[in-house]
Amino acid sequence: MTARVREAVRPAAAETVPPAARRRAVRLPGPAGAWSTAGLVVLAVVVWIAGSAASLWSEATLPKPGSVWTAFTAAVRTGQFWADCGSTVWEVGMAFAGGAVLGLVVGIVFWKAPTAGKIFEPYLVSFYAVPMVLFYPVMIVIVGINQWPVVILSTVMAFIPMALNTWVGLRGIRPVHLKLARSLGCGRRQTLLHIALPAAAPFLLAGLRLAGVYALIGAIAMEFTTASSGIGHRIRYLYESFDNATMVAYILVVFVISLALTSALALLERALLKGRSGS
Amino acid sequence: MTTLSPARRASAPPAVAIGSVLVLLAAAILWWLLSRLTFAIPTPAASVRALVHSFGDPDYLDDLRVTGIAALSAFAIGTIVGGLIGIGLGLSRRARTLFEPMVIGLNGLPKIVLYPMLLPVFHLGYGSKMVMGVLFALFPVLINVEAGVREIPQIYGKLARSLQASRRQYATMILLPAIRRPLLTGVRLAVSLAMVGVVLSEFFATDKGLGRVVLSAYSAGEYATMMGTILLLLIVSFVVSFALWELERRVR
Amino acid sequence: MATAGLKLDGVTVRFDANGDDEPVTAVDGITHEIGEHRFVSIVGPSGCGKSTLLNVVAGLQRPTSGTVEINGARVTGPDRRTGMVFQEDSTLPWKTVTENVVFGMRVLGVPKGERAARAREMVELVGLQGFESAYPSMLSGGMRQRVALARTLAQRPSVLLMDEPFAALDQQTRLLLGAEVRRIWGQTQQTVLFVTHDMSEALLMSQQVWVMSYRPGRIIDVIDVDLPDDRDAGVVSTPRFNDLRNRIWESLQKEAMRGFMAESA
Repeated sequence: MTARVREAVRPAAAETVPPAARRRAVRLPGPAGAWSTAGLVVLAVVVWIAGSAASLWSEATLPKPGSVWTAFTAAVRTGQFWADCGSTVWEVGMAFAGGAVLGLVVGIVFWKAPTAGKIFEPYLVSFYAVPMVLFYPVMIVIVGINQWPVVILSTVMAFIPMALNTWVGLRGIRPVHLKLARSLGCGRRQTLLHIALPAAAPFLLAGLRLAGVYALIGAIAMEFTTASSGIGHRIRYLYESFDNATMVAYILVVFVISLALTSALALLERALLKGRSGS
Repeated sequence: MTTLSPARRASAPPAVAIGSVLVLLAAAILWWLLSRLTFAIPTPAASVRALVHSFGDPDYLDDLRVTGIAALSAFAIGTIVGGLIGIGLGLSRRARTLFEPMVIGLNGLPKIVLYPMLLPVFHLGYGSKMVMGVLFALFPVLINVEAGVREIPQIYGKLARSLQASRRQYATMILLPAIRRPLLTGVRLAVSLAMVGVVLSEFFATDKGLGRVVLSAYSAGEYATMMGTILLLLIVSFVVSFALWELERRVR
Repeated sequence: MATAGLKLDGVTVRFDANGDDEPVTAVDGITHEIGEHRFVSIVGPSGCGKSTLLNVVAGLQRPTSGTVEINGARVTGPDRRTGMVFQEDSTLPWKTVTENVVFGMRVLGVPKGERAARAREMVELVGLQGFESAYPSMLSGGMRQRVALARTLAQRPSVLLMDEPFAALDQQTRLLLGAEVRRIWGQTQQTVLFVTHDMSEALLMSQQVWVMSYRPGRIIDVIDVDLPDDRDAGVVSTPRFNDLRNRIWESLQKEAMRGFMAESA
């Protein structure tokens, strides 16, 4: 009986939640996975060094690792680099926080008012299909040329997976847990805080992880194509001024930030879900 | 047995349908209100007029064609490549331990920043933005298919063995039908993301395409053309995504 | 006259069916009493409204008509004087055994110091010492139901309601846990209303068995169980047990058949 109830929850999750969220708790790579990943990175660097040395590609296509390293060490000594990073981190942080809170609230509202949820669900799901950057010119007109268009549009991107995951998670609460809450005479607040949100935690955390990823992807993409500050913008600027070595250095910095964010959120998820592997 | 909320199960489809239309209407009204605030946002009517006018312009149709072809090819290539890798990873535990962490990491990257590195190799035309579209479309298919393959109940494998099914029979009669739902989810996201990847690339640098049209119309102050094109892209992506979403929900 | 532990007076529950069907009468005018500290089981075919009746006693379901009184005071909503053990696993997977046991008390506002003491006592009572900091995912189905029982007992309800708590378990575990619950009840002395579709389970545990009919749900037979008070799982092989079992089956057989026909139609 219990087993069947649990299984029934899963297809619903597959319906709404973007792919990565379906794996409820991330399985962290074991030592084999970590070693092989490290191995692949080393391999890529070796190919990069060897290819550059053998002149398989020109310096304009892909600069030598040495040049990129020199450019990187030069860049980190400039205030510009830290200003760019600060700007991006601020935007991503705001978007992440805003999207997470907004998504949580909207997910709870959808749970309480399923008809509203059903009305908005296809729109929210389809927002993945919309290049948010399209709204950038419109946002500029509304809020002006500053960081806010980026923050607002990235917030929207972060908000969507959070809202959908929250909703799916809350819908998947086992009825007996809600019945338990009722039989104990829990108020709305107690039911939400002590039963509903902890029960949905695997989905909330998956949503949070995706919110982080989307906030970063959104902010970088917008800086990169349209905005006038941040790391993304700097990459564009360096491209236009033919400073390839520094550009590649900046691109690698973006990757490092992204991987750090993904791993941090995955570790958080794992730490908070400790002990409930069976749930 | 659960008699606590007996009549709850039947949802009210009319309410949802009416609600969906109301949402669209509300969006249109909001847009109209915004257009009253500033000249830089044209009214919905003006934007539609500009779009209709654009359709008479051969250059514009060329831009449309380029974006369409690039997005569709990126989608097709991304789905095939992603699907194959996904099946491979799903079937082989060893391949998963080796590559899964990397897949998760790559999936979270803002891949668009690679665009300037693609440009010297694949050039300004179709090449670079198609590659970008493929990079965007690849991962949702890969991850969904992999999860789908991994979650195929073991009993299906036993069944196939007991019937002495060939590998080919297993693939076509068990594997593919068993992963149809995650595959469809992946496909829906891949269509969307292929287009996002292409349009984003066009925003950065390209010779032709609707992304470029939006940006240059914006710089030139032709706001009606800009909004008309944005509207076109929104409608296309929403319609495709809605349709696939409906299909996905109907597939059992 | 002493007040009854639990008094049902004309309790009726009707559900509106979807569409044009007749409303379903799940519980029909049940008037019965359970003395304080008595252990009563209800047996009946699936779908006869046993669980609905239990929900009414717990105040989770408002009866269409009729009243429920516990120790002379009416039940009007979710009632703190009752504690319920559910058929499904209701342990919270994000909490350890002890935290699960404490949970009910916390919601009910039991002072912190007392919670810990009671939790320790209850964990011991249900035989889960050594598993205090285990998570439910590490426990078997039977052990999880012990956790749920400990949580409910820790709330010190005056009426303990059990809704087929062992239905998901295998036969052996079910009988052993049944004997356990009886032993525990011997110490805690709640008024117990236990719902099951298993006749042996009902006989093994209770002092009185009510047989409930398929729709409309009425009590069609009341059987006093005159088995020894200190019985254990071994009692199932005694002749008296068999006699009682046959007696219940006589009342139940027709209803079970009727339910079976109706449900499979």
